[in-house]
Amino acid sequence: MPERSAVKQSRLGRGAALARLALRIGGRYAARSPWLVFASADRKRDLRHDLAFRSAEEVAEELGSMKGALMKLGQMASYIDEDLPPRFRATMARLQHSAPPMDAALARSVIVQELGDGPERIFERWDPLPIAAASIGQVHRAITRDGRAAAVKVQYPGIARSITSDLRNVALLRRVAAAAFPGLDATALIEELGERLRDEVDYVLEAENQELFATYYQGHPFIHVPHVINELSTSRVLTSELVIGTRFDAVREWGQRERDLAAETIHRFVQRSLYRLHAFNGDPHPGNYLFHGGGRVSFLDFGLTKHFSDEDLAPLVDALRFLVFERDGEGFRAALERAGFLRPGAPVPTSTVVDRFGHFYGTVLRDEPMTITPEYASAIVRRFFDAGGPLAQFSDVPRTYVVLQRINIGLYAVLGSLNATANWRRIGEEMWPFVNGPASTPMGEADAEWESRQERSLVRTA
Amino acid sequence: MTMPQPTGLINVESFARALDRAVPQRPADDGLFGPSSVVWRVHRDRAYLLAGVRSLMMQALHPLPMAGVAQHSTWQEDPFGRLAATGGYILAVTYGDTKTAHAAAARVRSIHTHVKGTDPITGLAYQAGDPSLLLWIHAALVDSIVKVVQRYGNALDAAAADRYVAEMVTFAEIVGVPSQLAPANVAALDAYIRSVDLLQATPAAREAIAIVLDPPRLDAPTLELWHDLGRVAVGTLPDWAREMYGFAMPPESLMEREAVRQLIGAIDFAFEALPGVLEARERIELRMRAHA
Repeated sequence: MPERSAVKQSRLGRGAALARLALRIGGRYAARSPWLVFASADRKRDLRHDLAFRSAEEVAEELGSMKGALMKLGQMASYIDEDLPPRFRATMARLQHSAPPMDAALARSVIVQELGDGPERIFERWDPLPIAAASIGQVHRAITRDGRAAAVKVQYPGIARSITSDLRNVALLRRVAAAAFPGLDATALIEELGERLRDEVDYVLEAENQELFATYYQGHPFIHVPHVINELSTSRVLTSELVIGTRFDAVREWGQRERDLAAETIHRFVQRSLYRLHAFNGDPHPGNYLFHGGGRVSFLDFGLTKHFSDEDLAPLVDALRFLVFERDGEGFRAALERAGFLRPGAPVPTSTVVDRFGHFYGTVLRDEPMTITPEYASAIVRRFFDAGGPLAQFSDVPRTYVVLQRINIGLYAVLGSLNATANWRRIGEEMWPFVNGPASTPMGEADAEWESRQERSLVRTA
Repeated sequence: MTMPQPTGLINVESFARALDRAVPQRPADDGLFGPSSVVWRVHRDRAYLLAGVRSLMMQALHPLPMAGVAQHSTWQEDPFGRLAATGGYILAVTYGDTKTAHAAAARVRSIHTHVKGTDPITGLAYQAGDPSLLLWIHAALVDSIVKVVQRYGNALDAAAADRYVAEMVTFAEIVGVPSQLAPANVAALDAYIRSVDLLQATPAAREAIAIVLDPPRLDAPTLELWHDLGRVAVGTLPDWAREMYGFAMPPESLMEREAVRQLIGAIDFAFEALPGVLEARERIELRMRAHA
């Protein structure tokens, strides 16, 4: 066995920890763009049919035994940890990219197991080639027996059991998290990971959430959520109405007018879902949007829906009201303390609190049109993760609101890359419960008209 | 004034480079084994690293090869580099084309010609090129891979294990073991290992294995992962080997298949994130599929 060459080799190498070396390659970021957060998710994946999974054992080899869970952990950390170098993100993208699809026979076997017969008999037509990779599964096109075009999400066999088992090995997850992301709170990270993965593997839960949104937005003039086809859905198969539209990448090439309309719809979807429906998809990324022009957008993938209670929202609504509307710094500070973002009695002047946290409200502070440039969006995202500011040691993101932080980051990243202009304040006011402002744009008028129709029909039903 | 750079003792990048180099982009031929061999299938198992650690613990129990390593190499400065070089050699012989495999073996033989001396414990003279010593190194490796893959890797039934041991005779041959000396099935391998009577844990072996199991200058969480892997490796040793070292049998919960596969999977995930690893594995997979 050769031994001398080994020594020579290692002297060329850098010293570092096993996992960190692998996961945190490269130097610190120079220019950080929120677009990076979405680089992997948005691009349509090249499915590696030549490496397709042919059995549950092959799935277990590639995605079981911690691998799927750690991919997710890495993806989550890339939202949270600003120190992660671009090469880490590229690596995560590569690993996620690399998950091959199931071959036709394996996907068929899941349909047989879940729906009781082969897809060619369950459906009028079934496309055995998947059109996209999905979280722990893949999406097939089909036409139902009653003639509806459908998107059928099929989960990898055995993955739910294996992920559940992996999540139980908290000791190992904690070690890996501590080794790979020494700057992050491993316990919080793993709790969050568990919550998200358990939600993701349960397609029944996802179907319920999707249907909640689809029903709420039924008939909406520009926000569309496809309905679930319940009789063809189980915990491992989720069948929805098929949506055909333009992907985000292509929309970025559209004219500015169209991009502004698309941005307004996304903004309205976030505001309305949060302040009126009290629910939001916690994993907003533009891969989950399909665009139809004229501001019409379809929203897909409700695997990580978070529901907010009135009590969850109250301090946030207060913070917004005190800062933006009443210009009351002390009231703003007290609301942040109630929400748990700021430790009560922190020895920091209120003006500093207003200065630091106020940045997150930058788009709605003034009643005027404002362009969200990519630079502005990255500056905001950087603020979210600023661990070095004067408030760092007194501030925290309570678990309830972690998902909101992600929504905000996602929203800024999307609006920034659309370079969108609007009077975001006026649009927000339409939905904020303490204002209930009038329609501020043609879209707002259509939205208000839809809402009053909904209310009338609710009254009729009652 | 320049500060000296810290020396890295755990160098997974060299493992990654070794794998990338060992799996050729455009092989001239299918090499010594070929895509339909059991050797190809077994040597890409994720349990490979665990088998490697166990293999070092077994190999070190023969005082003469151990003395050769202790007296002729500075591997203690870089145990992981040594592991990577050995691993890289095995991968090159496995997946490289015939010319590459023979060149790698020739390099090993040429290094061995310079390694000779006397073991201070047994007082016996040794030469690294001695077929009986090479045979021990070979058998300890093959035994470790079979035992670890059967327990923690992908399905390897008795017939496939026999075929693997038989195919591996070529590995022994190319470094200078006459093929009739190398065990050609699992039973012969077990019998050979039982028949070697010099085995003991010399001070050199203890020192070497202590470094392998507890490498210095690792950060705490990574060291914990490595400790777990080492304890599992100890748990896979035959009782007599474990007793020679005086190691306790690790608790059963640590040795469970699911838990060990999770540990291996976590370490392998970090490995797979390195440039070239995934791509090399895909090249192997595609060639195997083309032959299926």
